Amino acid sequence: MLNQLFQPAHGTALAGYILGAIVFSLIVFAALMAVPPRFRRNIILMATFVGGLFYALEFFWPVHAMPTPEDPTRVGNFLSPYVVPFGDITTVIFAWTVGLGVINLCQVHGKRVIKGASGAFNSMAFFLSMIVMLVVYILQQAHPNAINKNMKVLLFDGGLQSLDATMFSIIAFYIVSAAYRAFRVRSVEATLLLCTAVIVMLGQIAIGQMLTQRIPADPHNFVHNFRIEIIRDWIMTKANAPATRAVAFGLGIGGLAVALRIWLGLERGSYFESQG
Amino acid sequence: MEHASTTVQILVPLLSIVIVLTILIARRRNLFIRRIEGLTAIDEAIGRTTEMGRPMVCSIGLGSLDVPTLQALAITTYIIRASARFSNRVIVPIADATIYPIAEVAVREAYVAEGRSEQFNADDVRFLSDRQFAFAASVAGLIAREKAAACFYFGSFYAESLIFAEMGRQTGAIQVAGTPSTTQIPFFIAACDYVIIGDEFYAASAYLSREPTLLGSIVGQDIAKGILIGIVVLGSAIVSIAAAVGSPMGQSFFTLFK
Repeated sequence: MLNQLFQPAHGTALAGYILGAIVFSLIVFAALMAVPPRFRRNIILMATFVGGLFYALEFFWPVHAMPTPEDPTRVGNFLSPYVVPFGDITTVIFAWTVGLGVINLCQVHGKRVIKGASGAFNSMAFFLSMIVMLVVYILQQAHPNAINKNMKVLLFDGGLQSLDATMFSIIAFYIVSAAYRAFRVRSVEATLLLCTAVIVMLGQIAIGQMLTQRIPADPHNFVHNFRIEIIRDWIMTKANAPATRAVAFGLGIGGLAVALRIWLGLERGSYFESQG
Repeated sequence: MEHASTTVQILVPLLSIVIVLTILIARRRNLFIRRIEGLTAIDEAIGRTTEMGRPMVCSIGLGSLDVPTLQALAITTYIIRASARFSNRVIVPIADATIYPIAEVAVREAYVAEGRSEQFNADDVRFLSDRQFAFAASVAGLIAREKAAACFYFGSFYAESLIFAEMGRQTGAIQVAGTPSTTQIPFFIAACDYVIIGDEFYAASAYLSREPTLLGSIVGQDIAKGILIGIVVLGSAIVSIAAAVGSPMGQSFFTLFK
């Protein structure tokens, strides 16, 4: 039913839908703002509970075959057809919050530019970049000619992506300084870490594996276990992987507990008033 | 769309019931949880910030509206409440627009809860960028420019974790981190003063607030972990014995928990 209601619209109908959605959203916002904070919290708790209940029921309820022309093997239950329309609500909320994020950025940088405070030059660079990127992107979408496409490639791929790559490459230098501190022999634990790291690193590279190449490669020979790549595999699969899985077990259970607290409205002490 | 297998249909509700029951018990009885070094260090970091008179930076990571980020926000509000008592300035950089309005309200309420609403500065809860490395550059710049005395990293982090932590170290900030992103824990351990690992991250809000409900859920988590450990030990024994006697039971056990 919801899918039939939310069919793609075009032309005047689309403009009408957009206008209607904005008016509806503003009315909802105004109504929420008019509600006293005490009741607003109850509304949030109720919305959280209903949302959580929907997804939990959809996930846990037994499934049966629900083939579609696109996916003949699809399975689902009576709630599955509503997952996509329900998920679209998140997209709408996200679209509104992006606007809030941009407003915050403009407020912070705008104040700095108006006051001429330190960093005003950077704030002006922010406004310039935002406006130029916005204009070029809209032009590229509206008139996808060669100039507009090239402008977008120049700014996005040539500028933004390159800046991203530059920041990412800095990590290489930070890894060296962090590794130096981590591997300094200051305690028994640090020494153990250093030895383990050296074995794993040597086991990863050909020159390291050459060190133990004279040891027989026959897996039935006990001495074979002393080949550096075998020791590396043992460290990674018998020591490292179980430890990581144990951490993941704890995180999974912890995540479940927090999700339950949020869903049932028991996390009040963190965001709202204490339990007293 | 993914749906629960039969095992998950039984196990997850069972663990959920255990957690909810311990929460209900905790409301009537005092429960004990052990000392967590990294969380005790938060007070030390706040004290140092007060002495130095410089701001602190609390990053809640790159996560969107998800459980780790909400937990990170809960920890951050406790840090803000504790620091508000000493009139410390706290800067909260935000990477996700969805979480920005929630963070702003949570931070404002933290100041209000301590009776220091005048200390709240809306500009200190800043949406910077939702692009990973633009956010990394912004936070690193923020830490350097503001000469942060303490940096807290709680939430979901990726490759930018080391950029933050190394920048914090360069400015001489005391740093405490906690993340559910297991791949980033080694980087934080190498660069931060204190790191809380694994489910300690989810225990943090209970540990800091001592709210009965939260303490109860931590005890429930431990019981749930005990159940899982029991299943792992039992499974290992069944699979080993089945392999030794050549029985197909071991394979059936694997299939059950696949």
